[in-house]
Amino acid sequence: MRQEQHNRTAMLQVENFSFDYENIEKPLVDQLCLTLYENEVTLLMGASGSGKSSLALCLNGLYPDAVEGFSSGDIYFHGKNIRDLKKGELNQHIGFVFQDPESQFCMITVEDELAFTLENRKIPGSEMSACISEALQAVGMEDFKNNKIHELSGGQKQKIALAAVLLLEPELLILDEPTANLDPVSSLEFIGLIKRIQKERGLSVLIIEHQADDWLELVHRVIVIGKDGKVIADEDAEALFSEKQQLLRQEGVFLPKQFTDSSGLEWKGDSPPLPTNEIILSMENMTFNRKGQSILKEINMELYRGEFIAVIGENGAGKSTLLQLMAGLLTPKKGNISFMNQPIERWNENELRKRMGYVFQNPEHQFITDTVYDELTFGMKLNGYTEEELEVTAAHLMKQYHLEKHRYSNPFSLSGGQKRRLSVATMLDETPDLLLFDEPTFGQDASTTQELMHMIRQLKENGTTIVFITHDMDIVDMTDRAFVLYNQEFAFAGEPDKLWEQEHILQQARLRLPYRIRKQQEAGVVYDLVH
Amino acid sequence: MFMISSINPTIKAFAVLIPGILLGFTFDVFTPLVYFIFILLVTFTLTDIPVIKWMKIFSPFLLVALGFAWMTTLYANQTFSYGDVLFSLWGIEVTTGSILTGISLAFRSLCFVALSLLFALTTDSTKFMLSLMQQCKLPPKITYGVLAGYRFLPIFQHELQILRQAHRIRGIGRTRGIKGRLNQFRRYSIPLLANGIRKAERVAIAMESKGFTGDTDRTHYHKMTVEKKDWLFFAMIVGTFVVVVGMSYYFGYLNIFGKQF
Amino acid sequence: MTNQWKLKEIVLMSILGVVFGVIYLLFFLVGQGIRNILVPFGLAPFGYEIIFGVWFIVSIIAAYILRKPGVAFTAEVIAAVVEVLLGSAAGPALILTGIIQGAAAELVFALTKWKDYRLRILILSGMSAALISFVWNLYSSGNIALAPGLLIAMLIVRLISGALLAGVLGKWISDQLAKTGVLRGYALGKELQKKRETGAA
Ligand SMILES: Nc1ncnc2c1ncn2[C@@H]1O[C@H](COP(=O)(O)OP(=O)(O)OP(=O)(O)O)[C@@H](O)[C@H]1O
Ligand SMILES: Nc1ncnc2c1ncn2[C@@H]1O[C@H](COP(=O)(O)OP(=O)(O)OP(=O)(O)O)[C@@H](O)[C@H]1O
Ligand SMILES: [Mg+2]
Ligand SMILES: [Mg+2]
Repeated sequence: MRQEQHNRTAMLQVENFSFDYENIEKPLVDQLCLTLYENEVTLLMGASGSGKSSLALCLNGLYPDAVEGFSSGDIYFHGKNIRDLKKGELNQHIGFVFQDPESQFCMITVEDELAFTLENRKIPGSEMSACISEALQAVGMEDFKNNKIHELSGGQKQKIALAAVLLLEPELLILDEPTANLDPVSSLEFIGLIKRIQKERGLSVLIIEHQADDWLELVHRVIVIGKDGKVIADEDAEALFSEKQQLLRQEGVFLPKQFTDSSGLEWKGDSPPLPTNEIILSMENMTFNRKGQSILKEINMELYRGEFIAVIGENGAGKSTLLQLMAGLLTPKKGNISFMNQPIERWNENELRKRMGYVFQNPEHQFITDTVYDELTFGMKLNGYTEEELEVTAAHLMKQYHLEKHRYSNPFSLSGGQKRRLSVATMLDETPDLLLFDEPTFGQDASTTQELMHMIRQLKENGTTIVFITHDMDIVDMTDRAFVLYNQEFAFAGEPDKLWEQEHILQQARLRLPYRIRKQQEAGVVYDLVH
Repeated sequence: MFMISSINPTIKAFAVLIPGILLGFTFDVFTPLVYFIFILLVTFTLTDIPVIKWMKIFSPFLLVALGFAWMTTLYANQTFSYGDVLFSLWGIEVTTGSILTGISLAFRSLCFVALSLLFALTTDSTKFMLSLMQQCKLPPKITYGVLAGYRFLPIFQHELQILRQAHRIRGIGRTRGIKGRLNQFRRYSIPLLANGIRKAERVAIAMESKGFTGDTDRTHYHKMTVEKKDWLFFAMIVGTFVVVVGMSYYFGYLNIFGKQF
Repeated sequence: MTNQWKLKEIVLMSILGVVFGVIYLLFFLVGQGIRNILVPFGLAPFGYEIIFGVWFIVSIIAAYILRKPGVAFTAEVIAAVVEVLLGSAAGPALILTGIIQGAAAELVFALTKWKDYRLRILILSGMSAALISFVWNLYSSGNIALAPGLLIAMLIVRLISGALLAGVLGKWISDQLAKTGVLRGYALGKELQKKRETGAA
């Protein structure tokens, strides 16, 4: 934590600012007053759906115009009301990385996308090539210059978004959950990169993030928005996290682990004994190519009933691809995949989908109807449940995932975290044999993550096999077995406790130790020092 | 000589457009036929379009042109049914004039197609738009707006694939048969369009967030230039057309709107 | 003119252009198919006329959704440009056709001072595009060589097609889209919203 005193010059001032999508009577963001200073890093926290992303988009002048929303109050940039600035002018000073990695590109190839920013800044054409290479290098994507953006993995897209914003060389950088889809090492590297640039260029940075841990050492100040849309805390991180824990818990905000000494997730009691050795899904010598490029090679895997499995690995390792293969959405080039002892391609499609659930990495890909309620009841309707049963289940799911207020909302207009929860909930109307989740917990606050894990535990006890793709090592630590994808193969398959001993593999696959082990090790170091 | 793929797209577009429009005046066989041969020559000497690929795209239009010729022959009006009656069909008298007009129109449409292919198969779409902006002063707002939409095309396929996957996941299997297909088409088309519109909105926000103002004063990563060879190409394509018309007049073939010159 | 449009409106026109650009190309094949069916009946000239309205639909949809001057025209031109970008056999001449058809559709909206977007206006706009494109085809496809009786019959079919496939179908598609809620930020969506509010009150 940085405590040094510095002369603060206000950069962005928000005065009595309110914003809402529908009407201004009971606004989402309510009479907000806050100031962002030059050369200062601010962390913005708050429950999922509290209006963080919306507020951030107001700060750089894109909202309320872009969504026909309503606002009152004023925002000043260097003392000038942003209403008086020409459209786009403000944006050349404020860089923005959007929460949804897919909605921030306007060109087809990586190269053209980056050049677009430079062109807007009127950088001479002859200098662009060098700038582009440099930015790509900074995010470790120099080999992808000529790739098409829509063919990149989720994490790779996020890295390109970061490269683009670096090229803008803004005075203020707004990052909306920028590391949500990054592998653990990339995430740390990115934080390091921001730290370096911030120092070098004296930038102001506003970070929106649910898990503050890794950011703490560069954050000067934390602002918390409450569920009622008002600022409920605006102070130094140390003071906030040590003195206001009760308040933060109430709001469902993650406390950094070093302040609570736990991962913040409970997985009560011992995990229930692995019940059976009944094989649910098996893969034999499975190979998969994309455009002639090998993605997965000779994969072997067996999943048992009631197991909780993690698939991990660096960005672009092929995790999502593997999950799609498991779900029978992609067909392997070679090898067999069987589900309940029957080759997956021989299953009757309807029967298969009843027994197996799948959640996409991008929540929006899951949605096929126009309201939250329809989305939740879609599968049940197909299976001929009565109106009453639909209502009961939907109400239960909406309550559990904090979506009650959004019954009639369009799934696409939810907040990032709400979308994620809805897409997970669509698969929980029944209890299938196998559930495949592609990064189900990203973008969630503490309380919803906790509830999701609770649900998973119940499912597991009822004999459902669950597969998680995740970059959260604390979750991996709770699983029965972890599979590490590296270099198109499994570099490791087994209990997480064994994995934590394999330093070499962790390093190769760009993974980290979970907080529990890191703490033990630190304690060990202290112990060694004392004795 | 130069390759046509290296010609400035805007110049190329005009070079192809002008003869295309002017051909509309001619109703004799000689002019479009000779010009058609010329375009073929250009296509196969100054581009590296594989002949097979070209044939594949071109051949359906051969049928279209034939159908068109036949129709005109049968239904030509008085001005164009000059000359002797050759035979009669279903009570319609077919004359030399109507046959010649039919063949002329057929060759004319083949000229259109060949010119279009010459353009389409040698031009990079992004460069075409950039060139329209840099050479024709098309506002950047439109240029990049169109490009952003055009970017949707490859994604469109991808999107369709995802939508299909989503439907499978959610329990609506693939359907067979014409009725199933039609149903599926309906189930996909509106969501696909809706997603497109949603994307439009977001892309616009993304562009603005990157400091795009629509300002005409901007630098260019891909600089499009007009050089001597571009004008040479223009002169060649348009010039040859003038020469062909001249020859046609000289030999007494030229027919404009049914009037012989 | 471009200053009155928001960037998102331009991108919307462009995306409509992409979607319908593909459909336009497909309909070229459909037209050919219908034509082949009609040949034995001696009705081949009508093959394309029956479906000709589809080629004006972008104008109608874009104008109906965005309701601003110049939209019908620009949307059609953009669709034509996109078709050219798609490659295939569409060349620059198509842009000219797009300009003519778009201008024709725009004309009707201009006559209402861009205030009236009821079904009848949309139908008239489709018919206007049909009429003027027909005149252009007299020249560009050499249709002028055809017998007057046939031409009149073709014109009538094209007018009907323009009215139904562009006007009526265009409105239906737009309304269907508005129901999904994606048009919230555009004129049509806002009108719907207003109707709902006054309806509820
Ligand atoms: N385009 C939109 N139209 C209507 N309502 C919206 C739209 N975007 C967001 N909302 C609503 O506004 C509220 C706040 O959303 P916002 O995205 O700002 O939340 P957030 O704090 O960033 O949450 P998260 O942590 O989940 O990303 C949510 O209840 C959401 O449903
Ligand atoms: N549609 C596609 N076409 C071509 N290549 C693709 C496509 N989707 C993904 N890829 C490539 O396949 C590889 C594996 O992608 P995948 O999405 O499975 O990675 P991942 O492990 O899920 O990564 P992340 O953690 O970033 O989500 C990547 O290198 C990616 O660039
Ligand atoms: Mg958010
Ligand atoms: Mg992935």
